[in-house]
Amino acid sequence: MSLDDVLILNAVSKAYGGRASMIEKAFGRRPKGLQAVREVSFTIRKGEVMGLVGESGCGKSTIARMAAGLLAPTGGEIGRNAAMREQMIFQDPFSSLNPRWRVRDIVAEPIRTHRLRPKKAIDERVAELLRQVGLSPEDGAKFPQAFSGGQRQRISIARALAGEPDFLILDEPTSALDVSVQAQILDLLRGFQAELHLTSLFITHNLPVVRLMADRIGVVYLGELVELAPTETIFHRPRHPYTRLLIDAAPDLDATDRSLHPIPGDLPDPSDPPSGCVFRTRCPFANERCAAERPELRTVETGQVRCHYDLDLSQRAAA
Amino acid sequence: MSEPVLKVRDLSVVLERNGRDFPVLDGVTFDIAPGEVLGLVGESGAGKSMTGIAIIDLLVPPLRRTSGTIALSGERLDQLSAKRMRRVRGKRIGFVFQDPMTSLNPVLSIGRQLTDTMRRHLPLTRGEARERAIAWLTRVGLANPPRVFAAAPHELSGGQRQRIVIALALCAEPDLLIADEPTTALDVSVQAHMLTLLRELHEETGTAMMLITHDLGVIAKMADRVAVFYAGRVIETAPTGRLIGAPLHPYTAGLMQATPAPDADGAMRVRAIPGAMPGIGALPPGCAFHPRCERAQAICREERPPLADAGGHDAACYFPLVEEVVS
Ligand SMILES: Nc1ncnc2c1ncn2[C@@H]1O[C@H](COP(=O)(O)OP(=O)(O)OP(=O)(O)O)[C@@H](O)[C@H]1O
Ligand SMILES: Nc1ncnc2c1ncn2[C@@H]1O[C@H](COP(=O)(O)OP(=O)(O)OP(=O)(O)O)[C@@H](O)[C@H]1O
Ligand SMILES: [Mg+2]
Ligand SMILES: [Mg+2]
Repeated sequence: MSLDDVLILNAVSKAYGGRASMIEKAFGRRPKGLQAVREVSFTIRKGEVMGLVGESGCGKSTIARMAAGLLAPTGGEIGRNAAMREQMIFQDPFSSLNPRWRVRDIVAEPIRTHRLRPKKAIDERVAELLRQVGLSPEDGAKFPQAFSGGQRQRISIARALAGEPDFLILDEPTSALDVSVQAQILDLLRGFQAELHLTSLFITHNLPVVRLMADRIGVVYLGELVELAPTETIFHRPRHPYTRLLIDAAPDLDATDRSLHPIPGDLPDPSDPPSGCVFRTRCPFANERCAAERPELRTVETGQVRCHYDLDLSQRAAA
Repeated sequence: MSEPVLKVRDLSVVLERNGRDFPVLDGVTFDIAPGEVLGLVGESGAGKSMTGIAIIDLLVPPLRRTSGTIALSGERLDQLSAKRMRRVRGKRIGFVFQDPMTSLNPVLSIGRQLTDTMRRHLPLTRGEARERAIAWLTRVGLANPPRVFAAAPHELSGGQRQRIVIALALCAEPDLLIADEPTTALDVSVQAHMLTLLRELHEETGTAMMLITHDLGVIAKMADRVAVFYAGRVIETAPTGRLIGAPLHPYTAGLMQATPAPDADGAMRVRAIPGAMPGIGALPPGCAFHPRCERAQAICREERPPLADAGGHDAACYFPLVEEVVS
């Protein structure tokens, strides 16, 4: 691991469940379980924002929790830069703050845990953080229930920054918020990112948001990383058919072209994924090879793609 | 022009707190023409859901309607008895709630819920209702309709439940469908399926639709016309293309800039509106948006700008943005 690497995932997998039922025990069968994440590899370098996108249930939160060290992988290794301090911001601003604690204690907690400031400087630091996220120091005396979703997410951000992280993991930090509050939170995060040179892992299913925030994007489908590339490459020259279809599925603001582009078919049952390429059951280009052979994650130009065919999609459509 | 399916005039709703009334909706006025899709947008708490709930007369204390006429194809709903209003709900107005479980009975099978709803409102035998229910399950794109017919709600995924809620709202052939954030809880791929389904059904049945969302992308693809809500009031109405191409109200423009999107040269931009929408009981005098508005002047702080008419492109603003020509 080089000094510039913050986090390395090497073929990381996570299987959930799998406690054997009576019948399974009696027959000596292994329980089915659910492979939520399968052999995911990527490296996050110092100062970069890495984005992860994908549909609900594809394994984003599972990856985030493993990256944060909150969940142990069942396969592969995670390398962590020991000199780096991590903080995580969660998806749900309603359940992630302890309702019995006052906001000032919530924000002060990482300062106390990591002994970042002398005792008598803590109040001042908490007041400063609350101001930085657009709240007032007086808000510190209130309980989380007194705040709206957007304000709660500001409290989560203040708490994360209180830990003076080098590395921030954000799991859908704006998904529960409306566009207007989302824009304020994104502004705030971008400001801190620029000011504090934070390294982050930014997880969302909102493509415009990840395009705004991330330097590189990983696309996850059914627990697998199917493509990884710099942000603009993902949007302008995606290599994986799923990436292309996912981008097209999000309605844009163009009211003159009213066409909608749902991804054909349904998400397969995650406990019974397709053979070969996981995306083949919905892929317009799939053939026998895709059912028979699982594609390797291959390096192409500036990124990586897990597809047997490395043609540019535009060429493939024309062919 | 033919008679609107829905005509709402000067609808006001208050919240009673400690013996005082605070406005929640204030003078809401709009029409929905036959076959039209009207989009309602605005940030959280602006009064979009409240408008839908007031139309179907499901307000409960401490909320109360204080003024307004609501006419469905010319018939005054605001004058109907509670009993007759119950017949309007479900039969003439279908409602899709944001949370699918609000519309579903957790202990009855999907088939039972569909057939009950149809037989309550349409003269059908049990067999006919069953046949139609299976047809609806097919129509909303569910695989294996007989299995789904027999299933309980908890046996289905979120996306499947949302399809059933849409079938339930449409199966009695209503004149108007009110869909409150039908896709907000879903991710992009399921959302695109759901919107496609809503569009197909709308084209097939010709049902007028009131589509509530805070996603301007959904508005751009689905709505014929839009009403923008802010702090309980409609502050701009326009045909969708005009609203998105050339918004008049600074709030509408702000909402659009707050939606992350690539600009002309492909660079991503987002611009937040400073401050927050005033809550109930905290409305400033004059234009409710003036504390957050760059264009505000003395009159905006003193007098409330009116919204002239519900038909064309109109904004409740003394200093609207210049209307550019859109092709
Ligand atoms: N504790 C758990 N036990 C068993 N299965 C789980 C558990 N947590 C998640 N899963 C399953 O693992 C898969 C991945 O879930 P995960 O929460 O990581 O997805 P996600 O991409 O974050 O989804 P979303 O966008 O809905 O938040 C899903 O099929 C989910 O049902
Ligand atoms: N049962 C209730 N009692 C008191 N206030 C309520 C109640 N329901 C809604 N409100 C308030 O009425 C206002 C309008 O709420 P409404 O639900 O119509 O907002 P909305 O525009 O649908 O927002 P969202 O996008 O969050 O769904 C808000 O200030 C809300 O807090
Ligand atoms: Mg998640
Ligand atoms: Mg609502």
